[in-house]
Amino acid sequence: MAEIVDARGLACPEPVVKTRSALKGGARDIEVLVDNPTARDNVCRFASSQGCEVEVSEEEDIFRIAVTGPASEAGTGADTAAGDAGTRRVIALASDTMGRGDEELGGILIKAFLSTLADSDQPPWRMVFFNSGVKLALEGADTVQSLRNLESIGVEMLVCGTCLDYFGVKEELGVGAVSNMYDILTTMLSATNSITI
Amino acid sequence: MLPLSGARREILVGLDTPDDAAVFMLDEETALVHTLDFFTPIVDDPHLFGQIAAANALSDIYAMGGTPLSAMNIVCFPCSLGMDMLARILEGGLAKICESGAVLLGGHTVDDEEPKYGLAVTGRVHPDRIMTSLGAEVGDLLVLTKPLGTGILATALKGDFITETEMAEAIDGMAALNAQASRAAILAGAHACTDVTGFGLVGHLLNMLPDRGLGCDIFISLLPVYKRTREMAGMGMVPAGAHKNRDFLSSRVEISPQVDDVDRDLVYDPQTSGGLLIALPPQGLEVFGQQMGDEEGWTRIGEFVQGEGPLVRVLP
Repeated sequence: MAEIVDARGLACPEPVVKTRSALKGGARDIEVLVDNPTARDNVCRFASSQGCEVEVSEEEDIFRIAVTGPASEAGTGADTAAGDAGTRRVIALASDTMGRGDEELGGILIKAFLSTLADSDQPPWRMVFFNSGVKLALEGADTVQSLRNLESIGVEMLVCGTCLDYFGVKEELGVGAVSNMYDILTTMLSATNSITI
Repeated sequence: MLPLSGARREILVGLDTPDDAAVFMLDEETALVHTLDFFTPIVDDPHLFGQIAAANALSDIYAMGGTPLSAMNIVCFPCSLGMDMLARILEGGLAKICESGAVLLGGHTVDDEEPKYGLAVTGRVHPDRIMTSLGAEVGDLLVLTKPLGTGILATALKGDFITETEMAEAIDGMAALNAQASRAAILAGAHACTDVTGFGLVGHLLNMLPDRGLGCDIFISLLPVYKRTREMAGMGMVPAGAHKNRDFLSSRVEISPQVDDVDRDLVYDPQTSGGLLIALPPQGLEVFGQQMGDEEGWTRIGEFVQGEGPLVRVLP
């Protein structure tokens, strides 16, 4: 039975916001009702961007948008090597070093960790970067190549925008997408398995 | 239909052309430029909203080649939001009025459920040096002086897909005055000028085309676009205004099949406090660049071509 999202009479971006909430709430079979072409196009585009199947029918000025999926539980990374069906492993990088003790050693370790991860046959679904962890994703960092390799096989990287601003390095981001606390939180909550470094 | 302004000779630009502001001649040397604009908050920060609304209202004076002289506040405000917030909005606006060299003379406030703020601005211009939206010639280059995307980003902000910090580049852009671009356009011998606001890039460009003889080609690869705009448009953050603009304008627009859906929306995206759209003779480009100096974000985005009727072609 499809979950109904009634977005009739609502102006953009509300219909998309409601559709997003339904998807984030775990629904995989949704019928979105809208009453104008702008909302129809936006909801279709949003659902497609999330890896969902979309089908539109129109009756008496109401558009019914059937949204199914994403096809696998792996979200937008569904069609890539990352994230086998049913496993959403998230690796959170909260610092630009690994472990406590010596900072220099921590820097060597995190570099080795990421390059080993890039070579492993079990890439995570997503990686999130916050606090000084964002520095790992900057242009010129000795970790950026490993992260790019991971991104190229479909691992999504969410880099905390507030943190980039705090350190004044947003322009230097070399890999991943600038993200926000909402998406970082949603990623961590929807992880089947999360590892914080 | 509005009754038109009549045939008084002092009215140099009135209701009968799609221009940004009205121009009233005082004598052979001096004309006054009049404009008014106000709107609901586009960002949450009241000071930034004030700056953006004021820069947007002042822009119409710059688009006509004028210099702002004086401004009056137009305010709608619910008492429930508190006077501190109103003060922050007005301070933001005043900062931009001062930056423009104009003075604030007064204003009017009414109680309203939703806040609105803007300015009525008076400027001056020499009657022989008015820039209007018509006047471009075949072979002129089309220059845009600010990136595009504010409608899409504002929709994304409303939907919590993006934060104000993440759209800082666009906020700075909206709060920036078009003063330098206007001066550069005059000195470079611009043939025509307008600013990009609610009708989007294509809508305001169509206002630069007369009924016959002229068309314009614009190139998607050359368009300056604020960061994250395309990503947000790809996630369905396109405002209703962009669709309305498309419905209204698309019969006069030809978009190449190689242009993707996101860029199709971008050319119709309604802008707040957008850049100037300038028709420059090719020999004026160098002067224009020198006058713009360190100002970033301006780009040559297309050129005016021979055409049967008014047609904008959007090429990859």
